[in-house]
Amino acid sequence: MITFKNVSKTFTGSSDVHALKGISLSIPAGEIFGIIGQSGAGKSTLIRCINMLERPDSGEVWVNGVLMNDLSDKELRKARKQTGMIFQHFNLLNSRTVLQNIAFPLELAGCSRKSVRDKVSSLADLVGLSDKLNSYPSQLSGGQKQRVGIARALATEPKILLCDEATSALDPETTTAVLSLLRKINEQLNLTIVLITHEMAVIQEICDSVAVLEDGVLEETGPVMDVFTQPRSKAAKRMLQGFLSTKLSPENWHQPDSTLLKLTFVDKKAHQPIISQMIRRHGIDVNILFGRIDQMKSTPFGMLMVELTGSDGQVAQAIEFLQKNQVGVEVLN
Amino acid sequence: MFNQAMLSMLYAATLETLQMVGTATLLATLAGVPMGILLTTTAPSHILEQPLLHRLLGGIVNIGRSIPFIILMVAIIPFTRAVAGTSIGTEAAIVPLTVAAIPFVARLVDGALKEVDPGVIEAAVSMGASPPQIIYKVMLPEALPALVLAVTLTAVNLVGYSAMAGSIGGGGLGDLAIRYGYQRFRGDIMLMTVIILVVLVQGIQMLGDKIAYKLYQRN
Repeated sequence: MITFKNVSKTFTGSSDVHALKGISLSIPAGEIFGIIGQSGAGKSTLIRCINMLERPDSGEVWVNGVLMNDLSDKELRKARKQTGMIFQHFNLLNSRTVLQNIAFPLELAGCSRKSVRDKVSSLADLVGLSDKLNSYPSQLSGGQKQRVGIARALATEPKILLCDEATSALDPETTTAVLSLLRKINEQLNLTIVLITHEMAVIQEICDSVAVLEDGVLEETGPVMDVFTQPRSKAAKRMLQGFLSTKLSPENWHQPDSTLLKLTFVDKKAHQPIISQMIRRHGIDVNILFGRIDQMKSTPFGMLMVELTGSDGQVAQAIEFLQKNQVGVEVLN
Repeated sequence: MFNQAMLSMLYAATLETLQMVGTATLLATLAGVPMGILLTTTAPSHILEQPLLHRLLGGIVNIGRSIPFIILMVAIIPFTRAVAGTSIGTEAAIVPLTVAAIPFVARLVDGALKEVDPGVIEAAVSMGASPPQIIYKVMLPEALPALVLAVTLTAVNLVGYSAMAGSIGGGGLGDLAIRYGYQRFRGDIMLMTVIILVVLVQGIQMLGDKIAYKLYQRN
């Protein structure tokens, strides 16, 4: 659906900023794809390369089989109508009512008044704002404004929705509501959603895949479950520190003569009594230091920090047993 | 203290001032708004980025604004004569008033348009809006209250300029104040013209504020 090929972008100024350094990335159709990174990581520039709000200095951006870099201004305007975008600060037109804001992209496309009215009311229904059509943005809460933004972005029936920190200006409760709305439209309209965020929780809640960006470099990408439970890059590990595990470093609670393990149970494994089976079979002592059960989008998973005490042979067998049962095992010491 | 003749003179002068200010404001707005739009949109990384044109326009506006009105008025007399057919009288005065107000309006419009949230413009770009659509459907409506205030400020300034224009035969309240109030020591007429000018300025400002407030309310 969206493919970046070796995309680079540098902002020249008093000091040059290398916002993107050779990014290659594929975003499949129908997914909710998250791009995570700290501020200044380049994620904002990356998402803007999809609709050419930022032009890459080099590299190619393909959207729906079209090479975006090469489009003329006119072709680009047409292509942009097939990609919706929502923003951190909503960017609604203050001089227009909710109705007129949602109608705006249709007006740009030159739709007839009648079709605009029908479309707007069905969109307002979808985002749950049917009773606010004649309000001005200043009369709405942040969550309502983002709903208007979403309805507006969907007006031209795009295939792709770009979300630029769409929930970063919202309180946690509203964030959850807006995220579930995004998930609903992803499923109902089979829309590909690309979102950038600095919040792990956003990725965990709705994304299928994630890309970790740091200093303009793509550090890691893959299914959220894999990246979150077994991060490979330093950047991903650092970002996840304290998110799915405790912030304490192993040295602080590690006893001598024991083996410290981080175990990850995914999906059905999270329901099985694997630990007690291991204790019975291999005759070792297990001390549970930290545990957590959670879910990624809709897949349950569990994470345990345990200390094994026993002979080297017993411990090695226990680890083998865990791995045979498809438990993710990471030896921390 | 005033006889009928005096009153009708004041009345006629007020009408002349209103005519000068009204026409000059209208013409300066018609020319200044597009100039202001160009000034904003040709700026670096704006929708019609044209660095050279931007600098040229900025230069013209700055030069126009730095020439004192009384000097501009005299300096462009040949132009005034070419446009109005004469350099004396109310209609002739409208020419330098307009010329002086255009760069003023352009700069105020530029300021008002720069206040439009760049995020909103970016949103419009992301929806595939063309530059004219962005100007007419986004920037101007979003900046409308500020634009109304800009025109109001221009009109108020033009009331002051029109009094200066009066001093070289432009007619209006300024002319009356100089000829009767100053040159013939008629303090009462001087006072009356000043009162009328104050009322005019107040009236224009209140009207502008009211319209702008109405527009702001929905924002």
